[in-house]
Amino acid sequence: MSEVIMKGLKKVYDNKVTAVHDVNLVIKDKEFVVLVGPSGCGKSTTLRMVAGLEEISDGELYIDGRLVNDVAPKDRDIAMVFQNYALYPHMTVYDNLAFALKLRKVPKAEIDKKVKEVAEILDITQYLKRKPKALSGGQRQRVAIGRAMVRDPKVFLMDEPLSNLDAKLRNQMRAEIIKLRSRIDTTFMYVTHDQTEAMTLGDRIVIMKDGFVNQIGTPQEVFNRPVNLFVAGFIGMPVMNFFDNCKVLLENGVYYAEIRGVRFKLSEFQQKALKENGVETQEIVAGIRPQHITVGEGELKATIEVSEMMGSEYNIHARSNEDEVVMLIPTYDLATDVSMGRTVAFTTKPELIQLFDKESGNNLIWYDAESAQNNSPVCKRYDF
Amino acid sequence: MEAANPAKRAVKERAPRVKKKRTKEQRILSLKENAPYFLMVLPAVAVVFLFNYLPIYGVLIAFQDFMPGDKILSDSTIWIGFQNFERFFSDPMFWPLMKNTFLICIIGFIIGFPLPIIVSLMLNAMKGKKTAKVLQTIFNGPHFISLVVLVGMLTLFFGRYGLVNNLAASLGGERYSYFLESSAFRPMYILSSNWQDFGWSAIIYIAALSNVDPQQHEAAILDGATRFQRVINVDLPAIMPMISVMLIMSIGGLMGVGYEKALLMQTDGNLQVSELISTYVYKRGLTGVPDQAYATAIGLFNSIINVVLLIIANTTSKRFSENSLW
Amino acid sequence: MAKQAKPRMALRDTVGDKVFYTINAIVLGILALIVLYPLYFIVIAAISDPDAVLGGKVFLYPVNLNFEGFAKIMERKDVWLGYRNTILYTALTVVLSLIVTVPAGWALSRNTLPGKRLLMIYFIIPMFFGGGLIPFYNVMSGLGLVNTIWAIVLPSILSVWNLFMTKTFFESSIPTSLIEAAKIDGAGSFRIFIEIVLPLSKAIIAVMALYYAVGQWNSYFNAMIFLQNENLYPLQLVLKEILIASESTVGGSGETILQQYRLANQLKYVSVIVSSVPVLLLYPFVQKYFAQGVMIGSLKG
Repeated sequence: MSEVIMKGLKKVYDNKVTAVHDVNLVIKDKEFVVLVGPSGCGKSTTLRMVAGLEEISDGELYIDGRLVNDVAPKDRDIAMVFQNYALYPHMTVYDNLAFALKLRKVPKAEIDKKVKEVAEILDITQYLKRKPKALSGGQRQRVAIGRAMVRDPKVFLMDEPLSNLDAKLRNQMRAEIIKLRSRIDTTFMYVTHDQTEAMTLGDRIVIMKDGFVNQIGTPQEVFNRPVNLFVAGFIGMPVMNFFDNCKVLLENGVYYAEIRGVRFKLSEFQQKALKENGVETQEIVAGIRPQHITVGEGELKATIEVSEMMGSEYNIHARSNEDEVVMLIPTYDLATDVSMGRTVAFTTKPELIQLFDKESGNNLIWYDAESAQNNSPVCKRYDF
Repeated sequence: MEAANPAKRAVKERAPRVKKKRTKEQRILSLKENAPYFLMVLPAVAVVFLFNYLPIYGVLIAFQDFMPGDKILSDSTIWIGFQNFERFFSDPMFWPLMKNTFLICIIGFIIGFPLPIIVSLMLNAMKGKKTAKVLQTIFNGPHFISLVVLVGMLTLFFGRYGLVNNLAASLGGERYSYFLESSAFRPMYILSSNWQDFGWSAIIYIAALSNVDPQQHEAAILDGATRFQRVINVDLPAIMPMISVMLIMSIGGLMGVGYEKALLMQTDGNLQVSELISTYVYKRGLTGVPDQAYATAIGLFNSIINVVLLIIANTTSKRFSENSLW
Repeated sequence: MAKQAKPRMALRDTVGDKVFYTINAIVLGILALIVLYPLYFIVIAAISDPDAVLGGKVFLYPVNLNFEGFAKIMERKDVWLGYRNTILYTALTVVLSLIVTVPAGWALSRNTLPGKRLLMIYFIIPMFFGGGLIPFYNVMSGLGLVNTIWAIVLPSILSVWNLFMTKTFFESSIPTSLIEAAKIDGAGSFRIFIEIVLPLSKAIIAVMALYYAVGQWNSYFNAMIFLQNENLYPLQLVLKEILIASESTVGGSGETILQQYRLANQLKYVSVIVSSVPVLLLYPFVQKYFAQGVMIGSLKG
């Protein structure tokens, strides 16, 4: 069992800047949790508090049931992979891997066995005698992961480990981390600003902004059930289209969404949820993902301003009065004219429209007030 | 999307943010980590204490009727206030010392301050980078010559039968004993200092120049700037902050000329211009019949002038630009 | 100075630029001559017939090669004693100064160090204000250091300027994450310093050793005021006797002056060479480190 429990974790710097407000998170044994958010959102600070590199200003941190607030990093039984690898430049790969074990006074033979075993897994055996300088970025990354692996830590911490690699290598390493995870059976805490990494790697994703957790959930949840505007806008590429000044209408017990004068009768599920949440007619921000827009039919109209050829599809930036709408048109769809200046009709399925309260930005359907109050916000789970 | 952070709002209302003091355990942890650092810095603290702070404490004798061997603070200490300072102000040497010190510094500054800047700009603007490097190596060389050797070379070159006089004689000029001429002291002092250190002082500017973004130059070339215009409009602005900092430091040192070199160059013939505050302190305090309290007072007076100059320079620079030492 | 604005475009220089480059090169060339000629002259004067030197016949090349000066200086016991003393003082200074400066620089570069600000102020104050010569002398004599080699060595083992340069080096050259990785790997503060930091700091250690070495090698003043025992005199003090002391007493008729000159002159040229040779020989090899040092210092000025 190596569970990580954060209770009201908080970081206030000496200059009174609060970097992390009250993080409440339970990482289950062998779970892979990704902290994601824009830079400065406090995700790295949270990770570093778990590592013991930052003092915890307030709150409690348990690793494997033990309160470790005041335990030195080396005694927390964690390992960390750094963004810039942080390999010891003057040591060979072998010594880099062995350093932690040597400090722990592990017998030489055992160190040797362990180092070779890990090198084998990571396919770096032939580089063991080299210095880090003589390795490529991807190889260094492996060594950095290996250095963490040899220790069999309870928790594996990774701080943007892929962001120094070029795009191609990043994709490759991402896949390797997924493979690796099935081999090293431990708890992972992974920090990134890249939502693709978050979505592909995480069992659960923690989305942070300005030191607050905005949503905790599986990749499916944060994509399909964003609890607020920030999460909705942060997750998903291209970014979700938002329509200001729309309305939810309640007429004769039936809910409609009105977007730019066009009414959508909401789906059954939405009806129930809105009813349960006691929503009445109100102003909203409506959100529709570009992937969910159907082009060529419906009453909404927009004029194409830019069309970007992405390979598998065109990203169309179109203008519809005050709104800029992004939509995707598959490149196999040869019938649709994507040239600039053309006006296209578009629509969406009502169940794919996200409804956000205009005031608070909270999702009328998915926002869960109770968990948000505890600063551990998850999406609502209806049982109908 | 600022409004879209309900969680934030919730907390702001709920929990008043009080910064918790560190717990005892956190302090122990921090001590464990930091105690070695204190040990590491301790020898340096001790050395500075012994050789820098104890002497600062020792300036108290400037306000005492002090005889060598007296304790600085004891029951028998006779405090005499500012008498030593008053004595200095009425010393017939006061004005000559002030004048000599100031002149050697200000002339040295006027020549010595811009020279490294110009040299660094010129080196930087050279076409052949390898040649520039070789030149820089040459220019740095004299920095490593000791003062004794430097002054020794001066006596060899400017002696009555030295190189300069031989050259002058072969051209039909007269021989001078430059070291006995008071008019020759300052030029010799200042020019030799510059000869020795202009290259070394240029390094700091050359380093700053190497950080200029090449694209700035390329943009200027496309705008049609000549190389000289690029020196003035690209290179010079790039080292301006460094120039300001060096300027402040130089002004702070305007009365701070040391005794080492001047002492070596002093002769009976040039003493009326070569006697500086610092050399005078040395002579009154450590040679002949020492008057330590008096010499200390003069030294203190000089240090205070330097600190005041530095503060003035720094404040002025702060007001008129963004550059300052503190 | 390394890679500087080399335009990627192959543009032809304009006539104006050509003129600029030419004038620039000529002026710098003249400057190089001004620097080099005095040094060159010392060398040719040292190996020329002293009469030719005094008679003004030596300008561009040695005249009547004559190595007597070198023979004469070999006979001077004080020179060799001074040499020995200087080497001893320099070696001691370098070893002690590194022990004092490098760990302190590392400690001061740590942001976790409580009271770091106060410590910095403690070190900065002496850069701008000091007690002056006399109180310094009294402290030295109070410590019983006068007329011992420690009067030469101890005050030279820490320069605050060098300390700050070391600190800046550590701040800019040792990545924080490296230290954090070592912490997580289980290394304590001492072990991190010795096993991680020191192996990565050869450059600054070399620079510091050189700075302190040259400083001690070239200094004369402390020896002059603190040493009475001539057997302890460092080389620079012996040189001072040979090169300068006689000059101020020069007087009398031209004939005796000439006589004096003839005897001492060549020895002076030779002694300049002999004393500066170690530093100047070393210089081309280590100058990149020296310059590096200044640049490290300039990073944070």
